[in-house]
Amino acid sequence: MMDDDTIVCRCEEVTVGQIRQAIREGAADVTGVKRRTRAGMGLCQGRTCEKIVMRILAQELGKPLSEFAPATVRPPVQPITFGLLAEGTDG
Amino acid sequence: MASAADVIVVGGGVIGSAIAYYLSQEGTKVALVERGDVASGTSSACDGNILVIDKMPGYDSQLALKSQELLAELVESLDYDLEYAQRGSVLVVEDEKQAQVARDWFTRQKDAGLPMRYLEGKEVFEDEPLLAHDMVGLVECASDASLNPMAFVYGLISGARRAGAMIHPFTEVTGFLQDSTGVVRGVETTHGTISADKVVLAAGVWTPGLAATVGVNVPIKPRKGHILVAERSPHPARRKVQEFGYLLAKFGGTEGRSVEPDMDRYGVAMVFEPTEHGNFLIGSSREFVGFDQRCNHHVLELMARRALRFFPTIRDIRVIRTYAGLRPYTPDHLPIVSPVPTVPGLYIAAGHEGDGIGLAPITGRLIAQMIVGEPTAVATEPLRIDRFVNKEHKGE
Ligand SMILES: Cc1cc2nc3c(=O)[nH]c(=O)nc-3n(C[C@H](O)[C@H](O)[C@H](O)COP(=O)(O)OP(=O)(O)OC[C@H]3O[C@@H](n4cnc5c(N)ncnc54)[C@H](O)[C@@H]3O)c2cc1C
Repeated sequence: MMDDDTIVCRCEEVTVGQIRQAIREGAADVTGVKRRTRAGMGLCQGRTCEKIVMRILAQELGKPLSEFAPATVRPPVQPITFGLLAEGTDG
Repeated sequence: MASAADVIVVGGGVIGSAIAYYLSQEGTKVALVERGDVASGTSSACDGNILVIDKMPGYDSQLALKSQELLAELVESLDYDLEYAQRGSVLVVEDEKQAQVARDWFTRQKDAGLPMRYLEGKEVFEDEPLLAHDMVGLVECASDASLNPMAFVYGLISGARRAGAMIHPFTEVTGFLQDSTGVVRGVETTHGTISADKVVLAAGVWTPGLAATVGVNVPIKPRKGHILVAERSPHPARRKVQEFGYLLAKFGGTEGRSVEPDMDRYGVAMVFEPTEHGNFLIGSSREFVGFDQRCNHHVLELMARRALRFFPTIRDIRVIRTYAGLRPYTPDHLPIVSPVPTVPGLYIAAGHEGDGIGLAPITGRLIAQMIVGEPTAVATEPLRIDRFVNKEHKGE
């Protein structure tokens, strides 16, 4: 069992306890946790924490890990500056 | 599983949640039915501005002002951090030609009693120093605020639940129950029937499809909008900033802006919103492309270019995420908050276009008052669904 104070999402400093609380409030998937806690909303967009969030979901909801998928990818896949985006460099 | 309630609310976006909250405060037994998670439709793909400044002077702006007052009460009474901040907002004016329209807009709003100021010349840069240096004016509305729209939904839902509302997420409404005279008796869902004498349809852009099953024509269309999310960074302005041309994009005028044709084609207008987490959001775009919610890269480029026009200093700040949502558009820019005359017991609360977060409190309050049978906080005539039917009869 992970400790409630352990930080899961380092970009947004979200703890295991906050994720458990979000699940008690009704979060049923990675996106639901993200919307309630901001886990995965930082610079890395969940690349580091998404797997752990899925594991906590599986544990708390008593379901197999395979039932959980990563959140939908929101472009850009890599962060891009306003300057480069405006010039159309990425497209 | 069959169950019963006094009122069923269909849709767990900001509008349905506000209705469930206000009704349950009146002691009404509410069942809210949402196809996905609460806050998974348009209310999870938007900004969180609570504005009067971008409303049409008159009924539209008075409705928004009333809603701001109710929201200030909700911030106190909901036991949830809504990330609410009342910093005011500004419309930035690009050139002298636009300034004439802007001054007139400002005067009409101020005369109607709204807390507005007009800044020009040097005052503009004393107020917002990082704006591009050729800007000529700012219209400010002091009562404007912002919050986190998803936190708002969660707060309303938990408040409603605490007052006894039953929340049914991941449950889709598939049809309405009616008696032999057409009166509503409940809904059919993917998890069984729920009976009630009143049903409120608050399904945003999905309202027309459901309403059509009981022969009601609802002229709501999805109007897509994109958002760019910037990384945590120093903000180029201390509060919400929109280009004055946003009003033209919203209300459909074309005069007053000299931009590349695609900016107008995709309704691109700069909207800047700082968030409580140190990020900021850049909008906006407006197009009718059905229910397609995928991001269009070309539109994102146009939006970035437009943002740099007003805030040249954000050039090296990174965009970390983009998304698009569907605004529930109506032809006359006002929502539908109304009983349905042809189906007794059925109500519709939808069509808030780009204003649903801000107008949720007044919408929830009005529907609760209609259902409980109290006098309404504002006149509801302009929000009735029959206004569209009457138009068709006149052949407009
Ligand atoms: C890019 C963008 C920026 C915006 N910025 C702002 C802003 O700054 N300020 C502001 O005030 N507004 C803003 N808006 C507008 C605002 O987001 C909307 O007006 C508002 O979210 C609409 O809320 P709703 O509850 O009507 O719709 P939704 O949030 O879409 O809720 C409707 C719900 O109904 C559910 N549903 C549909 N069919 C069924 C069914 N058969 N059974 C059960 N449930 C069903 C859906 O799943 C959905 O959750 C913006 C919108 C966009 C797109």
